[in-house]
Amino acid sequence: MKKRKLLSLALALVLGLSLPGCANNTPKAESEKGSAAAGETEAEKEGAEKKETSEGLKEMKLPTFLAGENVGAKFFLPQVERFNKKYEGKYKITVEEVVQDSYAEKIKQLATQKKLPALVHSPGSGGIDAQWFKQVILDNDLAYDLTDFAKETPELSELWLPESKEYCTYNGKLVVSPMLVIRPIGMFYNEDLYKPEKALGELSYEEFVSSLGDKKIAFMTSENAWTSALMLSALVGNEEGGAKLLQDSVKDKLWDYTEEPFVKGVEKLQTLLQKNASANTLGAAYADAANAFMSNKAAVIPNGSWMVSEFNEESKDKWSNDFKGSSVHAGIYPGNIALANPAGYGDFWIPATASDDEKEVAKAFLAFRGSQEELEAYLLAEGGTAPRLKYSEDFLNKLKENPLLYEYNQSVNDDTKYVPILGDVFPASIGDQEFGKLLPKLIDGSLSPEEFCKELTKKAEEAKQ
Amino acid sequence: MKASSLERRNYKWIVLFLLPSFLVFLFFYLQPILSIFLTSFMKYDGFNSPRFVGLQNYIQLFGQESFQLSMKNLFLWSLIATTLHVGFGTILAFILFQKPRGWKFTRAVFMVPNVISAAAWALIYRFIFNDEMGFMNGLIRLFNKDFHHQWFFESPYAFWAVTLTWLFYAVIVTLLVMNDLYSIPEEVFSAAKVDGANTLQILWHIELPMCRISIGTSIIASITARIAMYEQIALTTSGGPGNDTMNLPLILMKNILDLKYGLANASGVMMFLAGILVLLLVHKAFRLNEGIYD
Repeated sequence: MKKRKLLSLALALVLGLSLPGCANNTPKAESEKGSAAAGETEAEKEGAEKKETSEGLKEMKLPTFLAGENVGAKFFLPQVERFNKKYEGKYKITVEEVVQDSYAEKIKQLATQKKLPALVHSPGSGGIDAQWFKQVILDNDLAYDLTDFAKETPELSELWLPESKEYCTYNGKLVVSPMLVIRPIGMFYNEDLYKPEKALGELSYEEFVSSLGDKKIAFMTSENAWTSALMLSALVGNEEGGAKLLQDSVKDKLWDYTEEPFVKGVEKLQTLLQKNASANTLGAAYADAANAFMSNKAAVIPNGSWMVSEFNEESKDKWSNDFKGSSVHAGIYPGNIALANPAGYGDFWIPATASDDEKEVAKAFLAFRGSQEELEAYLLAEGGTAPRLKYSEDFLNKLKENPLLYEYNQSVNDDTKYVPILGDVFPASIGDQEFGKLLPKLIDGSLSPEEFCKELTKKAEEAKQ
Repeated sequence: MKASSLERRNYKWIVLFLLPSFLVFLFFYLQPILSIFLTSFMKYDGFNSPRFVGLQNYIQLFGQESFQLSMKNLFLWSLIATTLHVGFGTILAFILFQKPRGWKFTRAVFMVPNVISAAAWALIYRFIFNDEMGFMNGLIRLFNKDFHHQWFFESPYAFWAVTLTWLFYAVIVTLLVMNDLYSIPEEVFSAAKVDGANTLQILWHIELPMCRISIGTSIIASITARIAMYEQIALTTSGGPGNDTMNLPLILMKNILDLKYGLANASGVMMFLAGILVLLLVHKAFRLNEGIYD
């Protein structure tokens, strides 16, 4: 009898204790909190374990949202494969595909546990906000200083944009790999539905509106209302003092939206939303906006050059309603406005908690990405310009083979006014949720532009620390 | 009451057998609850050391329009859950208890939504309520050609569209009530029939009172599900348009996004307190501590 009781008790204890046992990482992570050195030890241990598995091969795991249906995956995943092939037996990167919406949350959790991967996407991408990056990573000195790396790889560091390099420097340390490429964001239009009399950038706002008539624009109100936010960025930038307002707000974010250029921009956006929004705008996520454009239901879509691949013949399966990719043209915003921010972060940063081996792999990958061959391949795939790179003849010839990309690149000129996108100046919750949530009320007129701006300011006030 | 010698002899075993459950409770329930309560009085970004700020988080939370609207929505959804949701589940249980033709099939079909995740349902409903291709507007347009509304994104439709994503999925209520109905001794029905009671009288005076516990439990389950409801809103309206469909879990998530864990946990505490309040009120109203056959 007693034996049975003891056996039952043992089973009950195993069951009960195995559950808390599953969470044994938490107290450990807690105890390591605040000590980057402790995190390094853990990471080093992991690195040592990996070493044992394959003599001489240095590996790292790279969680990325540039995977699956993400348009960036088309170039990024093969690029990782090219890297692995080039450094076969020396370095290896294993990609862990993460859904874009979950990426930031995953990184934030890994940061708390001091288990960040050796390469992390920069703030402004994958939902990672600059506020978190500053408050958690920079203020706790958790970003690896790339200053020595810059000295070791002059051929790469010479290509970095100076404004970006300055922006990526914090307390004298280079905390993020600076930008190599600038990709001005403009608009695409479908010539079968809308034919402006001159290039979009050469039109004034009034000319644009009158030439557009009642043609539709693929706007969004769901997710981060990306296409609507792009249009508003351009409209604000087109107002007197608007470009400066946005440019000055990149570092510390914009918290007050009742400034005149912003209100005037919202006024114009309301007019466009009420008159020219595609039928599915209310509740439209990015896929819906893209679908409206690629089904001839919207004549214009604000978006970046990375969308060019959607208009190639191989993406034909996404087209419907007699849409023709060859009818798509590109341009910047009326008033010669292009959305770009050279004073921003580059693509990746390396956590200080990564092991030396992982850092080595990460740095090799950054250098690989910045090589002339890879940069040109990237520009051909996703568009943009690398202002400090001397292009090869081969690249220039290939660029002309993609007329849309060429057109996109040629749409900017010396007089183009560059304006940051709202995503760069909005606090996280405003950019990710509140802006899109309030748009339906701007569309149905239950909020006037002034009220919309006041409401948004109130939300930003709530988000303030 | 004095414990018997047998019970006294088994004390150590009782304690030892309770230990695993106690440990699970301690680590997985009590510790997180206590940390939520504690950090709700602190300024905490989830990474740097928390700092005590007294009632500041609560003052900020109560002052937010989104919180006030969330509480209003919670009240309305609780009312709808108590009346329409539980009422529908209960009526269906009474119908199925009569074992009409096809009752087993109906019960199985009614069960299906429960095996599909709330997130998947939310996405299905986005299509159902879609203006262009949605079933709902397609149906309405058979009678009114000019009907165009995006249910999830227009006031005041959004609130009702979110409500419809859960309103009729009351299978838990149905199963709980049916369980109580099957537990009623056959003799009770026979006695009532001998006394000349008709079907309606049996339902009103016997079946319904004897399902008191399951109906009370269903109300608790339904309201607490409304307090914690997240996917249905996050994946449809995100709390919009404006704050029309805002609720406490969304406020919690929004504050986490803004690195305001203290404020997020203050809304967590409010959810906890709302749950306890519901538990106490329903417990008292339905005398849940008194057995049916006592």
